[in-house]
Amino acid sequence: MEQELQWEPRVVGFLCRWCSYAGADLAGTSRKKYPANIKIIKVPCSGRVDPLFIIKALRLGFDGVLVSGCHPGDCHYQTGNYYARRRITITKKFLEYIGIDPQRIQASWVSASEGGKFAGVVSEVTKGIREVGPNELFAGER
Amino acid sequence: MNYLPAKDRDMEQKLQDEAKSLLEQERVDYIIGFEPGSLKFTTTPLITKNKDDVDRLVITPFIVNNLSVYLTEVKGRVGIVAKGCDSRSIVSLIQDNKVVRENVVIIGIPCPGLIDLKKVERLVGKDRDELDDITRNGDRVIVTVDGKGREFPIAEVLYDNCLGCEFPTPQEYDVLIGESALLVTDFTASRQKVETLEGMSQQQRWEFWKEEFDRCIRCYACRNVCPACFCQRCFVEESEPQWVLPVPRWQDNLIFQVVRNIHVAGRCTDCGACERSCPMNIPLRNLARKTYDIVGELFHYQAGMDKEASPLLTAYEVEEAEDFFR
Amino acid sequence: MTDNKKISKSDLEGLLNEWSQEFTVFVPSQENEVVKLAKWGGKDTSFLDWYRNATTPAKANFFPPREEMFGFQKDKEGYHLELPPSDEHKQLIFGIRPCDARALAILDMTFKDAYEDPYYLSKRNGAVLIGLGCTNPYDSCFCTSLDISPVESTDVDLMFTDIGDQFLIEAITEAGKELITKASGVEEATEADEAKAKETKEASYNKLVKKIETEDIKEKLLPAFDNQDYWEGVAAKCVSCGICTFLCPTCFCFDISDELVKNQGERFRCWDSCAFPIYTKMPMENPREDKWRRVRQKVYHKYEFYPMNYSVIACTGCGRCIRQCPVNWDITRVLNSLPAKI
Repeated sequence: MEQELQWEPRVVGFLCRWCSYAGADLAGTSRKKYPANIKIIKVPCSGRVDPLFIIKALRLGFDGVLVSGCHPGDCHYQTGNYYARRRITITKKFLEYIGIDPQRIQASWVSASEGGKFAGVVSEVTKGIREVGPNELFAGER
Repeated sequence: MNYLPAKDRDMEQKLQDEAKSLLEQERVDYIIGFEPGSLKFTTTPLITKNKDDVDRLVITPFIVNNLSVYLTEVKGRVGIVAKGCDSRSIVSLIQDNKVVRENVVIIGIPCPGLIDLKKVERLVGKDRDELDDITRNGDRVIVTVDGKGREFPIAEVLYDNCLGCEFPTPQEYDVLIGESALLVTDFTASRQKVETLEGMSQQQRWEFWKEEFDRCIRCYACRNVCPACFCQRCFVEESEPQWVLPVPRWQDNLIFQVVRNIHVAGRCTDCGACERSCPMNIPLRNLARKTYDIVGELFHYQAGMDKEASPLLTAYEVEEAEDFFR
Repeated sequence: MTDNKKISKSDLEGLLNEWSQEFTVFVPSQENEVVKLAKWGGKDTSFLDWYRNATTPAKANFFPPREEMFGFQKDKEGYHLELPPSDEHKQLIFGIRPCDARALAILDMTFKDAYEDPYYLSKRNGAVLIGLGCTNPYDSCFCTSLDISPVESTDVDLMFTDIGDQFLIEAITEAGKELITKASGVEEATEADEAKAKETKEASYNKLVKKIETEDIKEKLLPAFDNQDYWEGVAAKCVSCGICTFLCPTCFCFDISDELVKNQGERFRCWDSCAFPIYTKMPMENPREDKWRRVRQKVYHKYEFYPMNYSVIACTGCGRCIRQCPVNWDITRVLNSLPAKI
């Protein structure tokens, strides 16, 4: 019981370096408060995120994954986030079929000027994953 | 063995003649087709330059391989025997720029469905090498054991994926051997296993796959027989970072399969080759079919139908499903 | 009176339970239509009705698909190793086929060579093999071509032959003899039993139709080494999966990997296959990048190199590589079509 109280969700955030990462930066510099549960990995574009990254994060015991990129139409590489959108949608559906709670896979569009939105997204995502509970999918024997 | 009625044996003759003339006229360098296998009710891929070899080409209900897997490997112009699903795999390879259309002569075979020997074995309680004969006659199949014939509806012995086949006749071909195929379909039966899984709870599904992948030995047959898996180097073989260990633990096995299936989304034609190849009887088509369905539902996309279209994962619509994006 | 014993099939359950006191007993078992030699559950000998051979060979019992070599922990003082617990009981395998038993004898040569492999040998030494003659070999079997009988074996401790409601039991080793001297349900065999066994054996032996000619192969194989056209031809349809090698009872290649998470980890070994291009991959060079070189290697290792080193062909004709191959790549076809010596 004591352990359960201590449990804090751990979320990996794959943030595109042009929009969402800058958005996260802005959230920081403008002193917006958001949960420290997210561990951020900067990627060149949300289109860089392979479904492999998502399941590997879950394999390593993270409780959730957030992929965040530029708003549709705003991609620094014109179309990377459109590809990402298809891929993540398929991944989420497919992982659900395998038996992984789709809540664990989250996505957002956050621009460089949306520090406030970023903080909000992280809060919501963390809250959602807290409801799902600890990721014990790969727990037990290694 | 009489696998086929006389009409279909004429098809074989036509196929051999066609293949021979392609080689003689030097329209192709290689012919890829099927010849009789070394065991009962088997066929084996025939890849040849020699026009005398093409007399061995056969068409039977056991031409189970998706031959398009060889297209990325064989150099030169190729004449290839293709069933409905295979032809879609070829189109998909063309979409991915893995195959040049002009270098392939597609010899289309209207496919009335392939016979699943495991289903036959279960029906008669004997192994395949203990059976005398299997003859298909329209929508019936006669299995002869110890000299006695037993008749079954063909739908009981066709592969699950064949029962759900929408395009038994190749959509893309240069030559078509015979007329369009009469396929007995049963879409409910075809999706039954997937549906059962969909009806389970999340936890049950996870336990199901955990158990299935526990016996995977990581021989990679599923990947290697799959024409959609054409990567020069698969992520499982990367060592830096080492995404998964080569050790066949269920965790690593599961990641391999999950990622493989997502990677081939929009390329998989539900040909069933992965499941057929598995020596550990892992129901891999339950994954393949699900990806196929997800792609159909979300993006109204069917793999290998249009050689001019962009592959699913390298295309987009400005407005499309993004309901969960915050 | 003969030297041999017999046991009624209905008494087998009791015998296996008796042996379970001293050994971990393994019997053929089927799950998801895959046959393995799995731990005996204490009852149910129905495998006698359907068992032909295991999908995964008996090598898996001594050289498993994955094996933890040791665990390790890292702290300020360095690394600390921890060996996995060893099995409490020795294995007793009931129902091993003569081909797979010979394969273990062949594997022994490798694992007990200049380097002795403790992982394999700790399981293998003291293990008891109880052979069961094949009465219904597969159409892919060709053991007789390799001087292995489907119904007789010198590589087991006891050999069982089906004689209707009973098994004739032949003791091959001293250990085997000891196992049945005081076993319950075991009786003296009569001459009539032996005659019946002889009949069964002959019938089984004659059921094997697939053949290779080892003398012919010996003559032709080495000269064919540089015949690239031939090897390219036979390799063309291979898809480079690991089925034939993984399920081969004599293939022993393995890969070793470490996994370190935080401060602790494990070292594993697992089956590896010469069919994989990555098998010979080195930083600058891959000598077997081409598929035909890999296919050639597999054939030569079994039929040329192993005989050079150990004077025995590393193939027992079990036929798994043919039966399980997704493209029906048949080694007997390859060996029977070797180009004539020039």
